[in-house]
Amino acid sequence: MGPGTRYALRSIASGLGTLLFVVVFNFFLFRLLPGDPIGLYTRGRNVPPEQIAALRAELYKPIAEQFLTYLANPLATTINSARYNRPVWELICERIGATLLLVGTATVLAAVIGTWIGIRAAWKRGQRFDKVSTAVTLTLYAMPEFWLGMLLLITFGVGIGVLPGMFPIGGIRTPGVDASSLAGWLDIVWHMVLPVTTLMFTYLAEYALVMRASLIDEMGQDYLTVARAKGLLDRTVRRRHAVPNAILPTITLIFLNLGFVVSGAITVETVFSWPGLGLLSYEALRGPDIALLQAIFLLFSFGVIVANIIADLLYAVLDPRVRS
Amino acid sequence: MTGEPINRFPVKPWPAVQAPRASETTVTQRSARRRTAAALIVVIALLMPMAAMPAVSAKEPPSAAPTPIPIFPAPSFTVGVTEDIDSMNPFTGIVSTAHEMYQLMYPTLTSSATDDFSAVPGLAESWQESDDKTTWTYKIRPGLTWSDGKPLTARDAAYTFKRIIEGDYEQTNYGSYVANITKAEAPDDGTLVLSVKRPTPVMLRLAVYVLPEHVWSEIDGKEVRSYANEPTADQPVVGAGPYVLVERRKGQFIRFQANPNYYLGKPNIDELTFRVYTNADAVAQALRKGEIDFADDMQANVFNAVKGESGITGVNATYYGFNQIGFNVGAALTDGTPIGDGHPALKDPRVRQALNHAINREALVRIVLAGYGTPGSTIIPPLYANLHLQPATLFDYDPERAGQLLDEAGYPLGADGKRMNKNGKPLSFRLLGRQESPQSRQTVQFVAGWFEDLGLTIDTKIVSEDTLIELNGEGRFDIFEWGWVVEPDPDYQLSTFTCAQRSSQKDGTIYAGLSDSHFCNEEYDQLYAAQAVETDVAKRAAIVRAMQQIVYDQAPYAVTFYYDKLQAYRSDRFTDFTQQPKDAGPLLFQFGTWSYQSITPVGAAGTGGESGTNGASDADGDGGPNLALMGGLAALVVAGIGVAVVIGRRRSAGEDTE
Repeated sequence: MGPGTRYALRSIASGLGTLLFVVVFNFFLFRLLPGDPIGLYTRGRNVPPEQIAALRAELYKPIAEQFLTYLANPLATTINSARYNRPVWELICERIGATLLLVGTATVLAAVIGTWIGIRAAWKRGQRFDKVSTAVTLTLYAMPEFWLGMLLLITFGVGIGVLPGMFPIGGIRTPGVDASSLAGWLDIVWHMVLPVTTLMFTYLAEYALVMRASLIDEMGQDYLTVARAKGLLDRTVRRRHAVPNAILPTITLIFLNLGFVVSGAITVETVFSWPGLGLLSYEALRGPDIALLQAIFLLFSFGVIVANIIADLLYAVLDPRVRS
Repeated sequence: MTGEPINRFPVKPWPAVQAPRASETTVTQRSARRRTAAALIVVIALLMPMAAMPAVSAKEPPSAAPTPIPIFPAPSFTVGVTEDIDSMNPFTGIVSTAHEMYQLMYPTLTSSATDDFSAVPGLAESWQESDDKTTWTYKIRPGLTWSDGKPLTARDAAYTFKRIIEGDYEQTNYGSYVANITKAEAPDDGTLVLSVKRPTPVMLRLAVYVLPEHVWSEIDGKEVRSYANEPTADQPVVGAGPYVLVERRKGQFIRFQANPNYYLGKPNIDELTFRVYTNADAVAQALRKGEIDFADDMQANVFNAVKGESGITGVNATYYGFNQIGFNVGAALTDGTPIGDGHPALKDPRVRQALNHAINREALVRIVLAGYGTPGSTIIPPLYANLHLQPATLFDYDPERAGQLLDEAGYPLGADGKRMNKNGKPLSFRLLGRQESPQSRQTVQFVAGWFEDLGLTIDTKIVSEDTLIELNGEGRFDIFEWGWVVEPDPDYQLSTFTCAQRSSQKDGTIYAGLSDSHFCNEEYDQLYAAQAVETDVAKRAAIVRAMQQIVYDQAPYAVTFYYDKLQAYRSDRFTDFTQQPKDAGPLLFQFGTWSYQSITPVGAAGTGGESGTNGASDADGDGGPNLALMGGLAALVVAGIGVAVVIGRRRSAGEDTE
């Protein structure tokens, strides 16, 4: 077994260990929450007392029994949500697409644009592009997501002065537009513009700054001087020699962030009425709907852990030093 | 943007405008590098819908569209709501807006009148209680059909009731209605006979949605728990209400189409959509913009901001909800075993009356409700004029009287201005407010202040509603703030003060009943039992008033206010809403679907709306110029970005060669 394989196995094993811990911890964490979900869900409805008792009996089985049911089925494909009375996994599947679409698009766009900004800023360090881009991305980074979202919503959704409200106030689709048609797809893109822009703006700085710093580190290296001495174009030096060496931390960052794609952006989903997982988890907290909460949190943790493992492995592939 | 114009033109406007954009793309491609081009394509893809909009605003029928555009598109009415409907299955849904969906989809035997909520014909055109008071016979309207064309008869109604009576899970939403019904039969297609254990007035307003037997008999008692009851692409949900459910997108919208076979006739509006927004502000902005036509349940500040705008009418509707400050009058299980750690002083009615006198209800209405409501008194809101009791003497705001009552109860003021307990310690209460409600948080702040002015020590805490239910159930509280929404039939509300609704215990765990004050009064319980079997409307009302008087005097609650429901709509597009009760109540979300039957597009035949210049066909008129402007702007942005990128590339290319 070579050092590379050993490294890979170690990464995966530690990831699995974390996952196991999360699975167990997750179960007990949500059982510490106070509250009487059945009382809340039945309040003000014509539910006969016997039925309320039956619902409670179903929810409050002995803790050991609950734990075994959960272990056998941690993602709750057969466990019903207390509030929606449907398998938790179904509820998650209905929402996960919207979140992946929103946060995934924003993450990819932010990575591409942010890295590009970082490269340019580093290459022309101290010049106007560097100063302006650093100031702008940092300002966007410092803004709370919901606030930036609301600013964009009011400016481009509602419209200010002569500026008309161009984009939808919320949602992912226009009722009545056929979802499978080209119009339906464009309609979704149309609804994505504001929330994706909001998220992308707030993510931008991370990539830009990491890329900039790492490229600046690289720029003093002797091999770049050699490359220039060979008479290579400045652009070629940058693209073929400097950037490939400097991009490593950015790639790690991209994969780490991809892990957070599932957990989405509760605040942005709320501002733009985006029907994703963020909203579902917020609704699950009211009650609390324990089966739903624990499945969602398990999914979130799973996303982060898997992304971490991938980042670890990818790092080893890209940088031989890590393997030894 | 989307909502309204596209509703009106449910054809595909996009293809028509793609061509010019595409040619622009190729021009750019030639002069730029691959990466630049790729970036541009992304940008253009993002902006494409924007560019497509002018076609919509210009109202040019896209030639590519296969279906012809009607000259007067079907009028579509869109309602904005702040909470998604949890389930379209009438056995499952729990949020209050879910019932709006069910009553749009399914008929009920009777309905509540628009003027005074009295029982009026629904699916049943008449009904009769037998002389021995053991059966009720309902005459079902003849010749009705379900939306799929199958006949709708008394057999469907009998099936539905039988299913609930014999069911397990099916009891969850309707159990209390059928608790007294022993048998449901349909001797013929036009007659439904329900047998009852004892006389009960609830037979006049059984809010049970009658379901099509041929659909629901396929869904067994186990499957029904997770049955979604949602339409598929070509199969609407079979119903017989004014509207038929045709599309449901979770967390997004619910779309209905008018039912031509509805027994009161096809509604004027062909298409009805409920759109979900996750915050109240978004609903207001959507109304302002015309994305929706109706906003329900608005917050006062938002309501005030939009109601004066042109084209929007705001209505502060008298509502059937109240809020209260509740007291722990001595928490106990149903068998009388005391539980919890409630303050003993609150067992004394004089102390609760004193605290009633300390609450300035006018101030709460003015500040917490921004004026949209009325001071509260009894537990049946005045909107139900036939049932509400206006007490002869009110617990008006009178701190002096409050102080006297506390003195009499044996809690005198100490030298430090604090009232003393019987063993010389400061008299101190815990006060709980609800996290979820800004009004609750504000109310407890004021109330704590007024109580402290009396010399009491108040420890205010804000908790979530589910935690509060638990604390209420276990009796681990002194004073709390919450509220109820009261149905036209008072039984449920009255039951919350009976001894039987105190907490229960099972396997060492205490569970809350409906009573959150743990009130228990023998006379009240007797009256409750009496009203439950009194089928004479007037006699029952007298009993219900007497019960309100007991609760008022004993004061387990200090009803703080009856709040208004704030609704607003696009009066430049729609008119002829029906309020329930007349000229005062809500325009939508009523007991019954009256408004949906009467709403008319402005300018449509038969209405003489004051804004007659605004025809239905150009109802989206003010969206038009915006759209054109927007298209231009989009083109400009695309062009600008293209030029900037190209110049940028050229310049950097130039630098490289230096």
